[in-house]
Parts: sequence; C-alpha cells; structure tokens
Amino acid sequence: MKKNRKIFIIAGILVVIAILLYIFLWMLTTKQPLKLNDPVRNAILQKNITRILVRNSTQVLAMVVSAVLIATTSLVFQTLTNNRILTPSLIGFDAIFVTIQTFIIFIFSSTSILFYNPYVNFITATLLMIIITLFMYRLILRKNRNNIIFLLLVGMVLSTLARSSANFLQTIMDPAEFDSLIIRTQVSITQMNLNVIWIATPLMIFIIFALFREIKNYDVMALGESQAVGLGVNYNQKMNLSLIYIAIAMSISTALIGPISFLGLIAVNAARELLKTYKHLPLFILSSMIAVIFLVIGQVIVAETGYLTSVTVLISLIGGAYMIYLVLKENKI
Amino acid sequence: MIEIKNISQAYGQFKVLKDVDLTIQDNKITALIGANGAGKSTLLGVIARLLEPSRGEVYLDGVDMREIKSQEIAKKIAILKQTNQLNIRITIRDLVSFGRFPHCKGHLKKADLDKIEESLSYMDVKDIEHKYLDELSGGQRQRAYIAMILAQDTKYIFLDEPLNNLDMRYAVEMMTILQRLVKELGKTIVVVMHDINFAAAFSDHIIAMKDGQIIHEGDINYMMDKAKLDHVFDHDFCIAGVNGRKVCIYYNHDSEVQIEEAI
Repeated sequence: MKKNRKIFIIAGILVVIAILLYIFLWMLTTKQPLKLNDPVRNAILQKNITRILVRNSTQVLAMVVSAVLIATTSLVFQTLTNNRILTPSLIGFDAIFVTIQTFIIFIFSSTSILFYNPYVNFITATLLMIIITLFMYRLILRKNRNNIIFLLLVGMVLSTLARSSANFLQTIMDPAEFDSLIIRTQVSITQMNLNVIWIATPLMIFIIFALFREIKNYDVMALGESQAVGLGVNYNQKMNLSLIYIAIAMSISTALIGPISFLGLIAVNAARELLKTYKHLPLFILSSMIAVIFLVIGQVIVAETGYLTSVTVLISLIGGAYMIYLVLKENKI
Repeated sequence: MIEIKNISQAYGQFKVLKDVDLTIQDNKITALIGANGAGKSTLLGVIARLLEPSRGEVYLDGVDMREIKSQEIAKKIAILKQTNQLNIRITIRDLVSFGRFPHCKGHLKKADLDKIEESLSYMDVKDIEHKYLDELSGGQRQRAYIAMILAQDTKYIFLDEPLNNLDMRYAVEMMTILQRLVKELGKTIVVVMHDINFAAAFSDHIIAMKDGQIIHEGDINYMMDKAKLDHVFDHDFCIAGVNGRKVCIYYNHDSEVQIEEAI
C-alpha cells in the first residue's frame, strides 16, 4: 500500500509538470527569448499572452479529457472482453468514427446541419457510433472473447476497411465538400478540433462518474461472465451500458485529438504492472494519469523538436512494440 | 425448493434440452450424470440462470426466477462452472470476499468479514489465504472456489464437474466436504459428475440425462442398475457389490465373472 501511494504521488507530480510544461514552455523556448525590457515585444506579448495561455490551456484540457477517457474505457473494455491486450481503438473504433463522419458528409453534404454545426454533428456521429459498437459486440466480440489473435485480426481488417471506404468516398466526393470534410476528419494532436470541447468535457465528467459508480461491479465482472452472473451482477445490462460509455468516449477522443491507437494499451498495462492489482479503482486512476503523462509530455517533446514527428507516431512506436511483447507473453508462443 | 418446468434450450438448430421437468429435493446431494453432450451442464446453467432457456420456467420457492432480481437470486443460488480460467491474479482471500458481493455490493462490513473468515476456516484454506490462485494445487484451488461459494451463503449450490482435475484423494475429500455441507449447514447441492461410482458413493439422488432429456431418476439403489446405466451411456456395464455398496465396472468385460466371484 505504501509503495502504491508513492507511485500515485510521483504520477501526480508528473501530471502537473506535464501540464505546466505544455502551457508555459513556449515562454522559455521561443527562438527569441523573452526580454522583459524590450518595449516593442512586450506590448505585443501583453496583448496576446492571455490568448496564448487560453489556447494552450484549452489544448491541454482536450488532451487530458481524451487521455482519461481512453485509459478508463480501455480498462473497462478489457474487463468486458476478458483480456488485457485489446482496446477499443485496436478493434478499430476510432477508424469507424472517421468513416461515420465521411458518410454523413457524403450523404447529407457539408451544408447540412448534421455537418456544419459541430455540436449536432458530434451528437449524430456519437449516436451512430453507439449503435455500431453494440452491434459489433453482439456480432463478433462476445463469441470470440477468448481468441485474441482473431480479434486483433478483425480489428485490423475493420480499421483498414473503414479507412479505405472513407478514402473511396473522399475520392469521388465534390472537391469543395472534401475540403470541409478534411477539417473534421484530419484531426490529430497537432491539429486539434477544439469546437466540441465544451460538450466533451461535461460528457467526460459524466462518463467518469458513471464508470466510478460501477467500479465494484467491474471488479466482479473481471472474474468472467458466468462467475459475475452467479454473484448477482446484471451482466447484460452493465455490459450494454459500459459499451455505450465506451462508444461515447471513443467519439469524444477521436473528435478532439484524432485516432491514437496504442495509448490505452500502454496506460492500462503500465498501471497493471506497477500496481499488481485487479481492483479497478486504483487502476482507473493510475492509468488515466499515465495516459495524460504520455500524451502531454510526448507532445511537449515533439513541439520542442520542431514537429519532426508526431506524438501519435511516438506512441505507436512504443505501444506497438509493447503489444507484440504482450501478445507473445499471453499466448506463450 | 427449485422446480423446473418444460425447459427447452437450443443452440441454433441443435436442441440441447427437450421439455425437461424436474424438482430438486432439498437437503440432498443430487448427482447429474450422462454421456458427453447429454445437456447436463446446460441444464445446470439454465437452473442457475446463467443461460436463458428458449422455453419453460424455473421456479425458486414457487416464484418464477425471471421475476426475481439477479442480486436476490445470488443470495439463494450459487454456481461454480467447470472452467475457472481467470486472467486476473487474485489471492484466495480476495476471491472468497467476492462471495459476499450479493450481500454487500463490494462494501465489506463486519458480518461479511466474519462470514469470510468462517468460510476460509471451514474449507481449511485459512493458513494460505494470502496465496495467489495460480500458486495453488488443483485441490487447493477447488477448495478456494468452494469457500467463495460458502461465503455467498446460499441455500442452493450448483457445481459443474467439481472433480475435474482432482486426483482420487482430493476428489474423495471434495465429496466428503459436500456431504458435510448438506448435513451440517443444510445446503442443497446439485453436482454434474462423470464418475458413476462417485455419484453412487456420495450422492443421495441421481438424475440421468440422455439427448437433452431426463431418462431415469431415483435413489442410488434404483439407479445403480445395469439396464438403466447401459441405456444412459450406450455402453456395456457390469454392476458389482463391494463392501455392501453397488459399484459399476465399465471396462474389461471378460473379467466380469471373476469380479463377481471375488465378492
């Protein structure tokens, strides 16, 4: 317990440092360092400092919201599917979100309220996402729960299929429509879509709250479906509800910072390794912190090196290697 | 009392259970026997509401189980499935604590902790309570699971092949414990088994299933009968008497005569 507290304190400090670095780092590292006695620059700075700080804070908020959602829902997803490798994004959920956006614009055109109003668009896409998620669970996940390799394959095929069909539609689309689509779908951590942050943040708080309320149930569900039912958990109801939360969370994080495949995998498994527990409460908290640290510090590093690469690539590099290790270990090949 | 009425269950086109009617007798060990694929585990799963039957009802103390909340059922019926593959690392004590979930929703109170202690001691795993399940022998692990079921404190206990992976000594020990549970704590236990001799030696009542139907049912003396067992398993059995008990021999037919002579 004592050791765990130390881990939490260190992680907490790192989170704070990461966030502060992201918000204030530009002051120290711009090509022409700030000289407080420079009257010209000072005037410009005074005018813009609030704007810059607000922008950076909003961006960091978007990253924190996404990271926390990715980490917690990945953990819940692993409990539901009874394994520790799959995450919603590895199954291709984020690719599906992008495809949904493309379909909306293709069918309704960019002048439709379903597209140009960011809130209506977000809600429509999220609703579709929920339906597809529930459908996918029934169709694939539930039956093949123990076949991780198969599920990973399904995830790969599905995300490729989703991306290719989106690509296809984009190719035959009106160029003007395509232009407006790009803004929505080419979201990445360097080009965040902050339009929906004010609907995403309260939604995130709601989801986190809802997940925390179910924490004891998730502990039991980790024993497996029949055991959980035997102990009186209303498994189907809890599962459907959790899947809806997962779908919303994936929509939020993909809408805000674009797809990041391996963040959930890294965060959840790192938390598991560090805490060596099956209890969801500490895992929820620590994996969220780790996700924030990875994402924000990664982004700071990328920014400092002049955007030579993107943090998504960095995380995929680490996460991909880690996943291969996990797959080999779990299957004892 | 648990009554099963007209239960049918199908996986796709294949009918696993066909209009099964059954009353489970209280304060007894009931053994469920039958060939592989006869529908024993499915029947057990349906009674313990792990599986939704495609037709029919299960009544718990006269009330249709579908009208009882899952949590309330969990206070009356406990079930242990044969595959207990866990992908989480958990200590015996934590596992047994899960047995209190229907009663406390995960917030353990004094009464729950007492019950956990009691179950750990009863199953003789108190001294290894902090060991992880994957460090245990098959027998210890099975005892840990039974301790969880005990902590759940239910009248009915359903066990799906609890003797799997146990050597003879542990298997006898397990069945002796089940007998004690019935005698000392007044439980009602239903066990799916493969070994007819174990069923005959330790249970009070035997139900034989074949092709999704109950074909014979009765006490040990009635059931340990060559014609009936041959019918159930489509196999040539030989019933012998050892120490005043009926024993079933299921191999080496030529030696039939010798065995009977030896008695």
